[in-house]
Amino acid sequence: MSSKSLKLANVTKRFGNVTALDNFNFEVGVGELVALLGPSGCGKTTALRVVAGLENQDSGKVFVGENDISSTPAHKRNMGMVFQAYSLFPNLTAEENVAFGLQMRKVNKEARIKKAQALLELVGLPTHGKRYTHQLSGGQQQRVALARALAFEPEILLLDEPLSALDAQVRVNLREEIRRLQISLGTTTLFVTHDQEEAMAISDRVGVMNNGVLEQIDTPDVLYNQPATNFVASFVGVMNKIPSELSDGHVEVFGKRLKAIKSEQSAGKVHALIRPESINVKTNSTNLNAKVLTRSFLGASSNIVCQLSDGTIVQSLMTSSGSGDLHPGSSVELEVATSEVLVTHG
Amino acid sequence: MKFKRNLPLILTLTLFGFFVFVPMISAFEYSIRTPLEGGYGWKHYIWAVTQDDFVYYIMRSGWLAFLTVLITLLILVPTITWLHLSQSPLRVLIDAISLLPLVIPVVAFAVGAQISLPEFVQSTILELPFLYFVLCLPYAYRSLDIGLSAIPLKTLTEAARSSGANPIRTINSVIVPAIRGSVMATVAITFVLSLGEYTLTVLLHWDTFPTWVTFVAQENILGAIAISMMSLIIPFLILTGITLALPERSNQGRK
Repeated sequence: MSSKSLKLANVTKRFGNVTALDNFNFEVGVGELVALLGPSGCGKTTALRVVAGLENQDSGKVFVGENDISSTPAHKRNMGMVFQAYSLFPNLTAEENVAFGLQMRKVNKEARIKKAQALLELVGLPTHGKRYTHQLSGGQQQRVALARALAFEPEILLLDEPLSALDAQVRVNLREEIRRLQISLGTTTLFVTHDQEEAMAISDRVGVMNNGVLEQIDTPDVLYNQPATNFVASFVGVMNKIPSELSDGHVEVFGKRLKAIKSEQSAGKVHALIRPESINVKTNSTNLNAKVLTRSFLGASSNIVCQLSDGTIVQSLMTSSGSGDLHPGSSVELEVATSEVLVTHG
Repeated sequence: MKFKRNLPLILTLTLFGFFVFVPMISAFEYSIRTPLEGGYGWKHYIWAVTQDDFVYYIMRSGWLAFLTVLITLLILVPTITWLHLSQSPLRVLIDAISLLPLVIPVVAFAVGAQISLPEFVQSTILELPFLYFVLCLPYAYRSLDIGLSAIPLKTLTEAARSSGANPIRTINSVIVPAIRGSVMATVAITFVLSLGEYTLTVLLHWDTFPTWVTFVAQENILGAIAISMMSLIIPFLILTGITLALPERSNQGRK
């Protein structure tokens, strides 16, 4: 496997008046799986299409390893791609689909069929080689598409929301398999998705995009626990926004004084951003400041939705065993289990 | 109950049969009459195939029809594919232009061709396939356009390109097989229309199979009908043969 690193340097792409990528810089290391995550229209798919050569950037450069491939046509880029829509060639069998890239590279028939069979086995479809597209389920089609993208040992693997058309259970299984394959083959992979759970679950690093700009790129842990911007904080995971007053660089939430980090101002009306797992719900207290609205059982943990007296909705994530006595309507005390918070102004 | 449900189908087939098969059967019946001896016989067919020029003209028209098919596919498949992929506003214009041969009388077209085409083009019979292409354009364009609209063209093209296929191989190996039905329909329509084209050919002073048939009809009308019957059956057999010979790898079962 001849995987290489990928780099986008100062790439700008406009569609009419809309700037899809604004001086975009981005890197994926050798053998790394990096996800680009963001709301629709944030430019993540455009970035991937620029890498694939399916879209030409207005300015900036794309590098694979040391090579500048900015003006190389798509069919000469040696990148495997899996699409969101089912993209298998309907006139070919699964095996021929997988062998297609090798056929284009003039590999002899015997060798490419052998390779196609090996890849179909790798994606868990060893007996489906002779089937046509219409004889495969959605999940199977995407597995074949993955095998097709990997068959010619691409330098970069590009995944354009490959799971979004599939059922929930198939999605989870297939994403785990993509990760397993990616690690075992060591293919440098760029994965575009709008599903944060998917991105966080299988990526080495996740880049969060908004309006054509990369807001933050880091490991899932850092993104979640130390978001660099308010957008990242509110886009990644669930975030409570609790109205508060900022003074002297501190806010008071549920009676506890917390240090406001990364705040542009030191005073004024703000919202404190607190994760549900950093909020505890207590029943045996004299300082009752909220009411339980609902409790959703999620297995080991439960999601408790409470309402403050001013109407603010606050979510808390607690162990199911520790929240068994919380019923809708109960008066409770909310507590913050952290000493630092991010704040947004206004 | 079953009859009632199938009534529209039966009616349609009866009407279709009436307009298509009755004239054909009548022509066939007429072509095997032997008025002098009375009764029926194959006399006129034997007369037709033993004519010196029969093979010459049928081969000539066959070649011209084949060239027309080739020109049609080579020009239209990449053009319509490009129009679909680029979502070019030109598509509306080209769509309208493709209908013009239905509106412009063949006489006007022939005169126009004679005035506008350079002499060296007019001096060779190879001008005919290009002009037949224009005459077949409304049907061929529509057939391919519908075929390309029915497949996920953009995704398939991009999948082919990212797998390493250049534009020509993308068309050959992915697009054409994916619209096999439409391509076959285009081949059939173009082949049959060019094989039977008469007006334009006569106006441009060329001799092909249809013009030869009208010529021999002056001498032996029943023989000419026998030839016409053959010219109907031979292409039918050729096209059926082509369709059956192609491997069965269609996307008919596509969900």
